[in-house]
Amino acid sequence: MKYFDGLNYYEILKIPEKTSFLEIKQAYRDAVSIYGEDSLVTYSLFSTDEREKILKIIEEAFLTLIDGNKRAAYDKMLVDSGQSDTTFISDQSQSEPVFHPGKAANDDPLAADATQTNQTDEEKQLSDEILSKSSVSGNDLKKLREALGVEIHEIHSLTRISVSVLNAIEENRLESLPPDVYLRNFLKLFAEVLQIDPMKTVDGYFKHISIVKNTD
Amino acid sequence: MTEIYPIGGGKGGVGKSFLAASLGALIAKQGHNVVVIDLDLGASNLHTLLGVKRPKRGLNRYLDKTMRGLESVAIPTMIQGLFFISSLHCSMEIANLLHAHKLKIITAIQKLPFDYILLDLGTGTNFNTLDFFLTSKEGILIGTPEPTSIENFFRFINAVYFRILKQTLKRSEFHSAVKDAVTEMSGATAGTHDILKIVSKYQPDKETYLKNKLSEFKFKLIINQFRKNMDSTLGNKIETVCNRHFHSDFQFVGNIRYDEQIHDAVYSKALYVHKYPHTQSSNDLKKIAEKITRNQRLTSLPKELS
Repeated sequence: MKYFDGLNYYEILKIPEKTSFLEIKQAYRDAVSIYGEDSLVTYSLFSTDEREKILKIIEEAFLTLIDGNKRAAYDKMLVDSGQSDTTFISDQSQSEPVFHPGKAANDDPLAADATQTNQTDEEKQLSDEILSKSSVSGNDLKKLREALGVEIHEIHSLTRISVSVLNAIEENRLESLPPDVYLRNFLKLFAEVLQIDPMKTVDGYFKHISIVKNTD
Repeated sequence: MTEIYPIGGGKGGVGKSFLAASLGALIAKQGHNVVVIDLDLGASNLHTLLGVKRPKRGLNRYLDKTMRGLESVAIPTMIQGLFFISSLHCSMEIANLLHAHKLKIITAIQKLPFDYILLDLGTGTNFNTLDFFLTSKEGILIGTPEPTSIENFFRFINAVYFRILKQTLKRSEFHSAVKDAVTEMSGATAGTHDILKIVSKYQPDKETYLKNKLSEFKFKLIINQFRKNMDSTLGNKIETVCNRHFHSDFQFVGNIRYDEQIHDAVYSKALYVHKYPHTQSSNDLKKIAEKITRNQRLTSLPKELS
């Protein structure tokens, strides 16, 4: 029996080094579904001891990669120790903390594949359903965020949008929303974390706001 | 170039014989010469799944030397290009196969003049089954999506590894200390890991050699009796886990959907993929057959070029 000898955190979670926040969460969920205690796949393969060891490593990998600072330190360690080249670090520079699915699809076909396989059918269906509507409400965004298992504070730590603004967006509280020019940018970042089309999201949300205003 | 695929899986009733018959027919329909050999000695029933009523000759005629050459005991089936070697008449005494007979069968199989040879193996992990499985460098494991069946996948892989290691350790270059330690272990409780540990203690330079020996053998995984609403990625997950935690290369080749008509076909002693060629299950089997033959073309290509 082999364990995770010699594998780095990305390899353990089976994700490419250029990976978004959401993909890391999904990869973690997949790993737990394979190695968890009640997994049909491995319940007979490992002893309780072995399973605990494996789950501990998976959790360590997840907690490191999901945390921006810890991940940066880990990436640096990989590069410094020669286990990885520098190409992926520049793509996650501080000024641009959010991953761009569209961009990755162009220059890294593997990363694009991972996006597709990691998202479950229901999640894909839900995001398609939301974007197919002419307007996108805060409630739609909230529903999608919850379906993806992402917390408000996680969106905050990735995008630096304040929690109160995020709540206002989700609850359609027009009076608490920032000026349009900021709101546009915030919605774009929010959409990127949820991996839905940013332009459609921005347009849909503004349409929703105007409908709400007109009915008042 | 002959490809030999032993079909095992540990558990009974998971569809080994059904798969052997179906793949045999489908690969023959692709235009290849195929023989399926019933090596489920003592419990033969592959002939029924192939729609052959009473095979007149089989392995027994080869072993008692009334017929020369293993290919001469192969009988044609209703499918053009598909042949069958039965073990029906050698049931009782041959379940306790003589070592010399086993070697004779294995050597003869490796020399058979067919494009594809499929071996239908018995249930369980006794050493005769394992030795037949190791006739080739690549075997097929079939199971159902039940926990017990998946458990048997792993047990079978471990048993194959144990057999490979034991055979390899017989060789002269290994220390008697290693041999003694391995002989003392009982097959039921000892694992690959324990043997490798012993080797790394007494002959650390040989550990990689043994691991390479294990990785030379490849496995293909198939899930049978797949039903609606089941996790369709189960096979991929098993593949991932096996590739990570065992030494060999594992490839999940597909699910075969459950179909009542498979039982009907068995009852009417007909070959399912021939009688119902357009069902979902038959399509699943067709895809699997294509993957297996495409695999061979791809891997043999470099040799042709060189």
